Amino acid sequence: MRTTRRVFLGGAASAVIGGMAGPGVIRSACAQGAASTVRIGMVLPVTGPGADAGRFALNGAKLALEQVNKAGGVLGKPLEIVTEDDLTTNPGAVLAFSKLASQSDLVGFLGSIRSTQNHAMAPDILKTGKPVCFGGTDPVLTQMGNPWLFRFRPNDSYSARVIADFGVTTLAKKKWAIIHSTDAFGTSGAKALTEALGKAGATIALDQGYTNQSQDFTPVVLAIRQSGADVIGSYFTFENDLGIFARQLRQLGVTVPWVGSPSIVNVTALKLAGPSLFGTYGVADYAEESSDAARNFGKAYRAATKIAPDNQSSWTFDAVTVLALAINKAGKTDPQAIREALLAVRGHEGAEGTYNFDKNGDGLHGYNVVKNDKGNIVFDKRIDFYQG
Amino acid sequence: MDLVLQLLFTGIGIGAVYALVALGFVLIFRATNVVNFAQGEFSMVAAFLMVVFAVDLEWPYWLSFLIAIGGMALLGALFNLGVYYPLRHRTYLPVIISTIGASIFLANSTLALYGPQPQVLSPVFETQGFLVGPVFLDSQYLLIIAVTAVLVAFQYWFFEHTLIGKKLQATSQDKEMAALLGIPVAGMIMLTFVYSAVLGGIAGILVAPVLFVSIQMGATIALKAFAATIIGGFGDVTGAIIGGLALGIIETFGAAYVSVPYKDAFAFIVLVAFLVLRPQGLFGERIAEKA
Repeated sequence: MRTTRRVFLGGAASAVIGGMAGPGVIRSACAQGAASTVRIGMVLPVTGPGADAGRFALNGAKLALEQVNKAGGVLGKPLEIVTEDDLTTNPGAVLAFSKLASQSDLVGFLGSIRSTQNHAMAPDILKTGKPVCFGGTDPVLTQMGNPWLFRFRPNDSYSARVIADFGVTTLAKKKWAIIHSTDAFGTSGAKALTEALGKAGATIALDQGYTNQSQDFTPVVLAIRQSGADVIGSYFTFENDLGIFARQLRQLGVTVPWVGSPSIVNVTALKLAGPSLFGTYGVADYAEESSDAARNFGKAYRAATKIAPDNQSSWTFDAVTVLALAINKAGKTDPQAIREALLAVRGHEGAEGTYNFDKNGDGLHGYNVVKNDKGNIVFDKRIDFYQG
Repeated sequence: MDLVLQLLFTGIGIGAVYALVALGFVLIFRATNVVNFAQGEFSMVAAFLMVVFAVDLEWPYWLSFLIAIGGMALLGALFNLGVYYPLRHRTYLPVIISTIGASIFLANSTLALYGPQPQVLSPVFETQGFLVGPVFLDSQYLLIIAVTAVLVAFQYWFFEHTLIGKKLQATSQDKEMAALLGIPVAGMIMLTFVYSAVLGGIAGILVAPVLFVSIQMGATIALKAFAATIIGGFGDVTGAIIGGLALGIIETFGAAYVSVPYKDAFAFIVLVAFLVLRPQGLFGERIAEKA
């Protein structure tokens, strides 16, 4: 009896855990099997604090997959995506990428939206020698000599310049409080913002880091209040941190303008923080009203998923679309040929913006400025730094 | 001074949550001599039950609360039957591993059933709080502090002034002697698990409007509550309360006056200091004395 119960519990646990964390293969309706398909790998969080973002990322990738296959697939074959759970951790991401990289028929990969995980995977990516499209925004990722990294979101040097430009020029605020996560994304963002504000003639009244998954921001909010800052610039990694901070900021009576990195306009952040984010500004790589391509993606995404689109789904949509385009342009699945085809992409209108890859592997070079108008994200303007 | 008072209020509010979860740790440890590493998941499951009934089904808050607490009592009983009881004659290690497994199982089951998206649970009171002089008193933190105080008082009365409470104490001190005296040991341990699950559940429901409802919320709280339990003295109810409150205050003041990024480090520096200098904690008894 005891053995039976143990077997039952073990089996049930394995079924649940295995079901959540195991690898998956995403095919569109016309795909038939591994032998007759072109396959790409995708590292994404299925479990852990980033699981919500992983769901959105997969939605975007699946939507692109459907469209690519509807248009004839890749090299005349259906495209297929193989997924691995990164557990929202760096070791998890490394393990997930290793599992995918061991499958020799995978011709390219989608990496993480989190810079820290891309940093962790970078050595293995270099060894594997196949293109990896990623969404992390730490500028260093494409500047460390790894030729296989291709970024599908604008990096933080651009977001910092846009935050600084909008805050100093449009809002006329000169005394800044910078609030940022202490992970790779937050630290690099804060550094870039400090540089951009310095060039714009603004002063930093407070530079305050915090660790991810903080449960209380009272000391941070009180520090902002004491600093006398007249505007806040932020780089939050996780939406629940942003939600707690936003609520405590308003509770403790801080009402200065706030210009945040893209997470401030994420679907999850808007849901969690609610009215606490009303009136804030964000730099957003995806803004539905910024272009026809963004509008078309938004329409298709809403129709497919019944939820609002954001950058967590738009970058994977673009990555799958552009990777498929590059493989078709290359005419073969040779990694070097795909790499060269990706670097040659110019003027591709994606959901996130117009892709013009530079020699480092950065595809986008600007951001949109949006405002949270009572929960509605209103497009203000796009600032692009691409100079041809 | 304003700053100090604001930090003190927040520290006590957070500390009260740690204390509630730490109480669950202590009760189970006293009854079974093992640490239940799924205690944090009890908080998470209760919070999700509230989301299902109060948010998704839009049932009245009080009814949802009662259902969630009833569900936690049932979960505590099932936990005892499935995780502890089959291993009750083994050493502490298999039981601890079993509770870790149960913790992973609960987290992933909730993820599979509800999905990964964090949820919002409205606070009990419509008003966010009010200003007393320059200090903002968050109504949810006030509720957390009040409920913790009531539960501690109830627990004191229950253990010290009721027959069943004394039976529970006897069971925790010496199971064999308690059995010889006619106390239904298995029933007492079952009751302990049920009560601990309810305590964890109440903590989860109280903290949900502050931290949001997510799969990770249980682990986040439990880690600090575990540290609070060690600081207070494993197995001591007063110690769990004092340890929880102390931890909340230390990390809040440490963040404000030393470093925000190292906020979590302060809690664990204190933990390590206690393990080295006073391993029995503030109120715990020495192992030699217990033997």
